[in-house]
Amino acid sequence: MADTIRHSASLIAVLEIIHLIGLTLLIGTIVMVDLSLLGLGIGRHPVSRIARELSSWTVAGLAIMLVSGPVLLSSRAVRYYSTPAFWIKMNLLAAALIVHFTIHRKTTYADPPVPRRRAGWIAILSLALWISVALAGKGIAIFQPPT
Amino acid sequence: MFLLSICQWLDSTQLNAAMRMSNWFFPTFDTIHTLAIVLVAGTIMLVDLRLLGLSLRSVPIAELVSRIVPWTLWGFGLMFVTGGLLFSSEAVKMYYSPAFRVKLVFLAMAGLNAVIFHRTIYRDAAHWIPGAVAPARARLAGLLSLVFWIAVIAAGRAIAYGPGYDLG
Repeated sequence: MADTIRHSASLIAVLEIIHLIGLTLLIGTIVMVDLSLLGLGIGRHPVSRIARELSSWTVAGLAIMLVSGPVLLSSRAVRYYSTPAFWIKMNLLAAALIVHFTIHRKTTYADPPVPRRRAGWIAILSLALWISVALAGKGIAIFQPPT
Repeated sequence: MFLLSICQWLDSTQLNAAMRMSNWFFPTFDTIHTLAIVLVAGTIMLVDLRLLGLSLRSVPIAELVSRIVPWTLWGFGLMFVTGGLLFSSEAVKMYYSPAFRVKLVFLAMAGLNAVIFHRTIYRDAAHWIPGAVAPARARLAGLLSLVFWIAVIAAGRAIAYGPGYDLG
């Protein structure tokens, strides 16, 4: 499969586009929740309800990323292996996922809601991690080792 | 030909020369441009999903739109500035790029769809029953918006696969 993909530029382009759309869904919905945790979101609606109503799209975005990502990786595995940005991204992704499914989830769905101050810090942590993942992803494209 | 001569003029400026010679200009502005997709397309997609009744159903549409629009507009400003600079750094190449032209067409269609929506159907939005299905024309506008913005993202990514580029 890797060979087929590598030799088809349009297939890689399609995968990258799918990866971008998944990114928009995943980070877009998470940003919405984090803004709500920071008190900048949709105002009078409880964060837990916003998060719950967005969660299926967050999951959809994540699913798209976790499928398109490895497929893209398989097409250029050797090159990625020697690209530092790729490893940085994988580490940041692991951290982002761990934070998202532990303290972030706990904070978002807490009842009664977590105090604004603490909720704000966790939102900032989440935003920082996911933005860093995206930046590292872009870094893979920018900092290609010489072929 | 007029458009082409504007592009040729852009390519002849000092700013253009500086952008081309710089090591950091393109990666930096391209990165900001790509990440700002989340601000523009992300916020718009959330509203579209809401119009289609597929997300955030407990939030009245008018309220969601009014809270989200500032973020969309700031994001669009960022896209416009970074996009404009990126375009100016290789204007003639963009002129001849099929993917770039397609991207502009879909941007225009997305814009037109938004303007029509806001000036007609959306006028009544405050009176729509919260929690109920939005009017058919609103749902259509949401669906079209999703299609157009996905096309913009796709065409934008396809630029780098067009003629004159080193395939990554």
